[in-house]
Amino acid sequence: MFMAEQAASSRPNTPPPGGLRQFLLSQEGVLLLLGVAMVLLLATRSDKFLTVDNLLNQGRLLAEIGLVALPMTYIIITGGIDLSVGSIFGLCAVVLGFSWQVVGLPLELAIVVTLITGALAGLVNGLFIVRVGVPPLIMTLATLAFYRGLAQGISEARSVTGYPEWFFGMGQGDFLGVPQQLWVLALATLVAGIILGLTTFGRALYAIGNNETAARFSGLPVDRYKLLIYTFSGLMSGVAGYIFVSRVTTTRSDMGSGLELDAIAAVVLGGTSILGGSGSILGTIIGVILIQLLKNGLALTGVTTDATTVVIGVVLIAAILFNTFIQRRRAQ
Amino acid sequence: MKKLLFLSCLLALLLTPALAQEDRWDGADDLPVNPLECPMMEGAMMATADPMATEMAMEMPEYDGGLAVNPADKAGQDIVVVDVPKLVGIGYFAATTLGQQQAAEELGNVTVTTDAPTEANIDDQIAVIDSYITQGVDGILFAANDPVAISPVLTRALEAGIHVVGYDANSTPEARTWFVNQAEFNGIAKAMIDSMATEKGADASFGIVTSTFTTPNQARWIAEMWAYAGKCYPEMTWLETLEAQEDATLSFNQATTLINKYGEDLDGIFGMTSVATPSSADAVTQAGLCGTVAVVGLATPNAMKPYVNDGCVQSVVLWNPIDLGYAAVYVLRAVVDGTLVPGATTVAAGRLGDLQIVNGSEVLLGAPFIFNAANINDFDF
Repeated sequence: MFMAEQAASSRPNTPPPGGLRQFLLSQEGVLLLLGVAMVLLLATRSDKFLTVDNLLNQGRLLAEIGLVALPMTYIIITGGIDLSVGSIFGLCAVVLGFSWQVVGLPLELAIVVTLITGALAGLVNGLFIVRVGVPPLIMTLATLAFYRGLAQGISEARSVTGYPEWFFGMGQGDFLGVPQQLWVLALATLVAGIILGLTTFGRALYAIGNNETAARFSGLPVDRYKLLIYTFSGLMSGVAGYIFVSRVTTTRSDMGSGLELDAIAAVVLGGTSILGGSGSILGTIIGVILIQLLKNGLALTGVTTDATTVVIGVVLIAAILFNTFIQRRRAQ
Repeated sequence: MKKLLFLSCLLALLLTPALAQEDRWDGADDLPVNPLECPMMEGAMMATADPMATEMAMEMPEYDGGLAVNPADKAGQDIVVVDVPKLVGIGYFAATTLGQQQAAEELGNVTVTTDAPTEANIDDQIAVIDSYITQGVDGILFAANDPVAISPVLTRALEAGIHVVGYDANSTPEARTWFVNQAEFNGIAKAMIDSMATEKGADASFGIVTSTFTTPNQARWIAEMWAYAGKCYPEMTWLETLEAQEDATLSFNQATTLINKYGEDLDGIFGMTSVATPSSADAVTQAGLCGTVAVVGLATPNAMKPYVNDGCVQSVVLWNPIDLGYAAVYVLRAVVDGTLVPGATTVAAGRLGDLQIVNGSEVLLGAPFIFNAANINDFDF
């Protein structure tokens, strides 16, 4: 029964041309309306909230989660999950610091090594999931511990600091008045959105999520695509790790712990079904922004951090209930 | 020329281990040590001058903290302060918060609210501080989850004219004005060795259970203990240091190893971590050696209450977190009022009296606090 529901709901994923009403009723549309309402409400409660400075500053803080959430959308659309992103993030941060300071590589090269490490870590996830047939949840749960352990082992609980000034540009600098990492996120979002929405590869991910066996029999290279998306996930975790190190000017092995949950929350809030088969990059990015603005706005109106966490939980549940409701209506 | 360089490198390599091995105990680091005065001498000198004060005055480095940029002049006026500890929801920071509220109440013109993530996460802590900068407060108190990672956001706070004071865990100096240092390494070392001497005599022989030989804080403490004991209690016998990570079972086993290996020669065990100390006390209890083998160490009161209350452990060395939070608020108030400026040597902190300035821009809370049967039940963390 579930399968049927999923299959039925997946087709109207991208709004058909001319369907403004359709878009407003989609998860992304509802989320956008909710977001705008929320921003206006919060803006009346604090005059510091809706300012260019604050919004750009929030952009700086959400870039890492955003970058990790993009490939997470792909993976969840195929019905998989990647719990190891936070650990890959930490491992990459440590590799960056140590290949530079201990091994003595030039910092530019160390950044490249870091990104390769991230991609490799993701590839290992993919290989075990595809070739050995370990369920993604189990495999990435194992590497969640394994990669974090590696990070701790390499760093021996020491942090690496003292990076040169130019290195902080990515995390703290601006380009044309906008934080540099926001440009990276914007570009990555655009590319990821186009690939998912308009290429054979992208559409095949929906097919895999809806019915993997059918996708295989249709001649889609399911295994190769899965390897690609898990590797992509590792790579983006590496990019996010690099940006984070640049932002906070130090390297620690516990960086990025819990990042996987933030990313998954944003993806699910953005309307991607955790069972696979539906979702969009647009929804994910709205989800990322919504959570960050909600956190920030509540903090600015004087709500404490623990209460904010509760509010975000409530919003998440409400969004998911609403999504299910819409999907049901559509399926009928 | 190249050859000379090579030879000197080789020489340096050969010399380093030789130097490092010279006169230092297992598990100690090789940084310079600065042992405090022995208790007897201190008493004798009390009449003339506080030895610590003279010592500090002689080698007081220049102020290396930062300063708020064009802060609003709020001397004597009401100020709003936010306190961002490493995390909320644990007894330790509940105690610092309690101290802050006591100070705020006494002063009457400070409002302090505590807000922090529920997990000790550097990113979340940065985001919390960030939003308070945007919101606009007069002062920020912090206990850093990472000394370097927190610094960019604190620097932003200073640039926004917000006074920043740290306590418990420091940032890089230029990212805050002052840091309230709960205990210096040599202070802890002195308290540990003095406690052992009080319990087991100036000729006690003891073993040490530490985390690892290279853990920075523990290595620093052991180095200072070695130096202080060498100066004040040359008769003490140092038996062995054992590594136990920060693992309760391993700590218990290592303490048991010390008990079995040295038998009657063992007068005491030092626990260097908050895990090693209660585990060592447990090992001594289970071996039926309460009173025979003393356990002295760093630990939090809650973990040690059972052993202190049944008399197996007499002294637990730490600092008083209530006083720590209390002092932080007084320091911030003094900065706002302009009574604490770079170059000062003391700062008035209410019931704690005048606190010493050390290391350029740090306020020393005072001698470590010894928890014993008389006071341990007053604390809950």
